[in-house]
Amino acid sequence: MKFTKWRKARPIWGAFMTIISGLMISWVPLNLYLSTFLPGSIAIIGLLFGGLLTLIGIVALFFPNASKILGIFTIFLSILSVIGALGGFLFGTLFGIIGGAALLAWRLAPVRVKVTPPTDLEKSAHTF
Amino acid sequence: MESSIQSVEGMTSKKVFWSALGTGILVLTLLLVSFGISGVAYAVPIAGVGDFYVEFDKLEGNGYTFFPKMGETSSSDSAPQGTNLIENLTIDHLQLYKDFKVGGQWIRVKITASKPVQITGLQHDAGLIEADAKFTNLALKENHSDDWQKQFQQTSSKITLEHAKLKTHYLFQKTINMNGMRLTVEKIDKK
Repeated sequence: MKFTKWRKARPIWGAFMTIISGLMISWVPLNLYLSTFLPGSIAIIGLLFGGLLTLIGIVALFFPNASKILGIFTIFLSILSVIGALGGFLFGTLFGIIGGAALLAWRLAPVRVKVTPPTDLEKSAHTF
Repeated sequence: MESSIQSVEGMTSKKVFWSALGTGILVLTLLLVSFGISGVAYAVPIAGVGDFYVEFDKLEGNGYTFFPKMGETSSSDSAPQGTNLIENLTIDHLQLYKDFKVGGQWIRVKITASKPVQITGLQHDAGLIEADAKFTNLALKENHSDDWQKQFQQTSSKITLEHAKLKTHYLFQKTINMNGMRLTVEKIDKK
């Protein structure tokens, strides 16, 4: 119940998609870095994009009020990651765009929670 | 009688979601189409998944330099490799492939180009080169240097390689023009 309340006050799906996209995008350059020794190479850019996207996803969970601006950054970074990091073979980019759009579209809104009046049976139960 | 209490909850505006998604995909498409129209990809690193193989029928290039180096590979911290630098080149029937073991099966991801591929600013680190090679103005040079990587150098103004197979650790191109590109993923038998 507590988790549901926490979850409902946060852009959970957008953040989740953004984290997945960040991990996908960093996968290619991370392997590149582990398998070959490339000082000052372009792989750094890929790692930077992937890392930033993962971070944005995590930040969105803890600072839901900033989700709009985080969404814009997510879309921008995931498209840019195609250059230099191959965008996690495009899957990372697509996940990033979807996650970014979900973050952008998320907002806190007042909702009315209906409280049902006590039934006659409950009322009578109280009288005892 | 019905009462209600106020509470705040996260909601996703469908209109904003779809327009943001549409814009994102549109920009991505424009970016990919701009690559497609010119057929040129800029600053392309192809590596990062361990060793991969490059095969082609014929390569013709100008401004070739080779020097040895030690580099990290997926199986070793420091393995001997050779760095090939070629200023501009044309390759016929290029094939790039990498084998992955997924579960108990081997899967080969292969990129082929049916038309000649033009590349500028190639840097290629290889552990093995097998080819019929022709060089023009070939110079093998020893330099006096404390840095062992600079002690030996091979240069030629023109290089032609035929029926080549290269075991590659790192490949970088400033620009690559790949017409008739095809990417396939297939199962292969491998022990």
